[in-house]
Amino acid sequence: MRSVAIVGTGQTDHSRRRTDVTQVGLAREAVVRALQDADLTMDDIDSVVVCTGPVLFAAVNQPEKWLADAIGARYKPVVRVTSGGGTGLAGALAAVNQVKAGIAERVLVVAYDKLSEGALQYSISTLYDPFWGREFAVGIMGFSAAYWRARMDSLGHTEEAAAMVAVKNRKNALLNPYAHVKKPVTVEDVLNSKPLCWPIKLMDVPPISDGACAVVLASEDAAKKSSRPAAWIRGMSYVSEAENAPNRSMIQSEPLTIAAQKVYKQAGITNPRRQFDVVEVQEPYTCFELSYYEGLGLCEPGGAAELIKSGATEMDGDIPVNPSGGCMGANPIGATALIRLAEIADQVRGQSGDHQIHGAQWGLMQAGGGWANLRGVAAVSSEKG
Amino acid sequence: MTTGLNTPPGVSQKLAATIGLPYTLTTGKAVGSTITALASKRLTGSYCSDCQRTNVPAQDYCVGCGGEMSLIEAADTGTITAATTTPEHTLLLVQIDGASSPLLHRLVGPAEGAVPGVRVRAVWADETKALFLDLEGFEVADSEAAASSPVDTTVDDAMKEMPYRLDLDYQHSYGPYYGRLFDELAHHRRLVGSPCPQCHQVMVPPRERCDVCFARTTRLVEVQDTGTLQAFSIVHLEFVGQTRTPPYVYAEVVLDGSSTRLIHVLGGFEIEKARDLTIGMPVRAVWKDASQAQGTLADIEYFEPVV
Amino acid sequence: MTPHDYVRVGIVSSAQTLLKDAWDDLQHVDLISEAVSEALRGTGLGMSDVDFIINSGSDVLDGRSISNCGFLGAMGAHHKEESRVEEDGLWSLSYAHDKIASGSARVGVVIAYSKPSESSLTAYYSALVEPFYQRPVGLDHASAHGLQAAQYLAVHGVDEKELSVVAARAWERAAANSSVDTPQVPGLDEIATSPSVATPLRALHLSRPRDGAVAVVVASEQVARRSTSNPVWISGYGSSIDSQVLGEREPGSFPAAKAAAQRAYARAGVSDPRTFGIAEVSAGSAAAELMVVEALGLAEPGQGASAYDGAASTVLNPSGGALPADVVMATGLIRLHEAAGQLAGRLDRGAGSASSALVHGAGGLAHQNHCVFTLEV
Repeated sequence: MRSVAIVGTGQTDHSRRRTDVTQVGLAREAVVRALQDADLTMDDIDSVVVCTGPVLFAAVNQPEKWLADAIGARYKPVVRVTSGGGTGLAGALAAVNQVKAGIAERVLVVAYDKLSEGALQYSISTLYDPFWGREFAVGIMGFSAAYWRARMDSLGHTEEAAAMVAVKNRKNALLNPYAHVKKPVTVEDVLNSKPLCWPIKLMDVPPISDGACAVVLASEDAAKKSSRPAAWIRGMSYVSEAENAPNRSMIQSEPLTIAAQKVYKQAGITNPRRQFDVVEVQEPYTCFELSYYEGLGLCEPGGAAELIKSGATEMDGDIPVNPSGGCMGANPIGATALIRLAEIADQVRGQSGDHQIHGAQWGLMQAGGGWANLRGVAAVSSEKG
Repeated sequence: MTTGLNTPPGVSQKLAATIGLPYTLTTGKAVGSTITALASKRLTGSYCSDCQRTNVPAQDYCVGCGGEMSLIEAADTGTITAATTTPEHTLLLVQIDGASSPLLHRLVGPAEGAVPGVRVRAVWADETKALFLDLEGFEVADSEAAASSPVDTTVDDAMKEMPYRLDLDYQHSYGPYYGRLFDELAHHRRLVGSPCPQCHQVMVPPRERCDVCFARTTRLVEVQDTGTLQAFSIVHLEFVGQTRTPPYVYAEVVLDGSSTRLIHVLGGFEIEKARDLTIGMPVRAVWKDASQAQGTLADIEYFEPVV
Repeated sequence: MTPHDYVRVGIVSSAQTLLKDAWDDLQHVDLISEAVSEALRGTGLGMSDVDFIINSGSDVLDGRSISNCGFLGAMGAHHKEESRVEEDGLWSLSYAHDKIASGSARVGVVIAYSKPSESSLTAYYSALVEPFYQRPVGLDHASAHGLQAAQYLAVHGVDEKELSVVAARAWERAAANSSVDTPQVPGLDEIATSPSVATPLRALHLSRPRDGAVAVVVASEQVARRSTSNPVWISGYGSSIDSQVLGEREPGSFPAAKAAAQRAYARAGVSDPRTFGIAEVSAGSAAAELMVVEALGLAEPGQGASAYDGAASTVLNPSGGALPADVVMATGLIRLHEAAGQLAGRLDRGAGSASSALVHGAGGLAHQNHCVFTLEV
């Protein structure tokens, strides 16, 4: 099977609201930067995969049709892969398969959302069955808070433990030039912040952002021609779960476990806590990061609160999680998963600047969406393997 | 109650649903400048120095190379390259004088004679609304209609944002499973689910295929309007499209006799005490008065804790 | 298309629901699960053998965000790799192809569906373009096709009557196709005198929206040979997008369709497309169908009508094509189901025996995006 590498990444200057560019202008900014980083031009790109959040976020149906013109992709293969909040990783997986199948040598993946333009919670509520439940929906926040409340009892994911995630990620975001929320907070600040959907409080929630990310994937031959360091994709998977399946567990995420096990098998990982140097996860609310620790096998089920308290996931811990600040620094939903992939790739490429984990060689990332029922994982390494 | 699916509901039964969403779109430099300049009856284009391509109306990025374009003043006259007449209007492709490709807009005036090769000039709307339709369209002009002389291209205070709405209407089919579900709900205040013949789990709403093993379900069973609180949260957030006034309790309930979760709200207690609710506590449906029933899930006013 | 280090990809089976004006008595999930069950029937493959699901549908048409997320059970996707490709089902098939060709997976189900009867197609199509210039002017499905048709006729000097001939032939073929619900078959006169909707196009020159679903089971060569005695191989595919700005597109032709076809032919090693036994192509209007046929190299520019000749070596749209039955997100994948079914001998549309086929699908307003597959047995 052909090896695939990330040879370029680019992110926009994320912001609560970018008033200077259109939706596609925003995405283009990330593309220009990714091509610059890869030392390539659009002429070198064989195929483009576009990812955005649900189209109702943006009032444009099939927005890749508009974007194609803004990035000079006319006459190239352009396709959009969608999968809720994890769409950036779902798109990257499609792109990886294009390279592995010999269909393309270099694929550009671009993911974006300009969330300031729409009514987010109402848009998200349109996920729900129009017959059954939509009128009671509270975006995914009502749902997410409800299952956090359930995990408090069964796993000990306390409000304090989740607050520590907010403290850590917001602190890390201070070092990330692309983060637009740069305000350190304390556990007390988080606990005392306004309840939005208790137990979720204001500071458990990432910002709503305008932002984009682009990544250039290359075959081994194409990567060898590149002067830029490569991050090799060692495993990648994106798994779904029927959202109202009988006896669906909201305590442990089965699709996350399935995706992680698949990726670890592909990558030859047997002890993720020891073997990975750095992790990036997509935490739409703080409580999710705790769940991911368990689903990714960074600790035993029920061990997440202990793990965050131990400091192991801090920048200087043995398994740093979200040195970029994660979603707490910027959260353009449709781009967020690809940002996690770009961040973890930059870590093993040694180009993460102030939030670089020194000597990182193996990186793990997680992303997902829907009703916490779409879950993806990827492993990258500085070595091809 | 156990029954087959041999009594389908009225086949044309539909659920009307509307998704109406407000937006504030960001126009970008080219669109913002173009639309702002329309108010002073000026048409704006853009130029790519690499491709030597001129677009009217202005685009931020060159369709040829993806490069950034600079804004230029455009003529307000041109030549029709294609036309189509619909029952509502005639749409034209107009090659604006000096442009590399035609612009799409409406014809003002009768469709007769508006054919390729005919000269046209811009018609400006009487009332401007900060939309592209401030250029009302193009009218057939004298053959010698000359381009207006270029003037200053700068636009002060170009618009950056544009309010927008998307209103989408739907007529959703109930199908046999939801048809029966809602018939039972409306006429008998009963909830039904479908058991999987392989997993023996009961799914509410009922469906043809088991979500887990894809086995075909063959019958419906009644489930109870009592159940267990699987999860809850206390909603303080206000948002567009919300159907209840915060604070209230969002809940997911597993009805007795079913294996899936039902999304609803909890009530029947003081909201200040909501944090004392416990996962796993028994709850029961509180139905609205029959006179207010509409045959929807909202016929259940809320679920209340069983003390 | 695949040198020895890639896995050959076979179509094991495929199935569609009846295509009809409104499936009033079924939901999306009912249509989807019917197509999927039917596609798996007789293959010896059960849902537990399926590694992944790729699907095409539209949130805007479905009235539901991330609508795939609500339909996972009906697609059989629970605890499998799944993705939505929000474009015609042929693009979903291209993703599925890549997953198998790369060796990442062995068995996949590709699904495409639309139920336009539940929503406004006008809203769907007008929301496809940017909201600032083209949308407010009133560009929609009919007017975009009308402008394109006007350009086609003018550029090539083609008579308007050809459009009615193309449409009449499509309807005649569809009438013999039991998968399309066609209670009344309009004749040439009825088509030529149907109401004008966007000159030069009349109502019956435009594709007719239908509800329906289609599912295709694809597998690695090894599994495909085990699961069917009549595997159909994917020999090539390609896609290409044009500009969204209507004024930027080349008048009278579809260069993006040509680019997509050239990519597919190069991978399949095909130098003369007229060697394909069958071609199944998608089009939103009779003029667009002629432009597609020409872009695929089945006729010279402006000579598309000649491809319908009995003497032409490739039988064009034996199913009737997309004009009598346009299932929006599923139209191209239904073309593939038709072509593969005929090559495998599952379907008989009177095209005789063929050993290779060409399939075309389109997306976007007035065919901004094109995808081409080549098949062989």
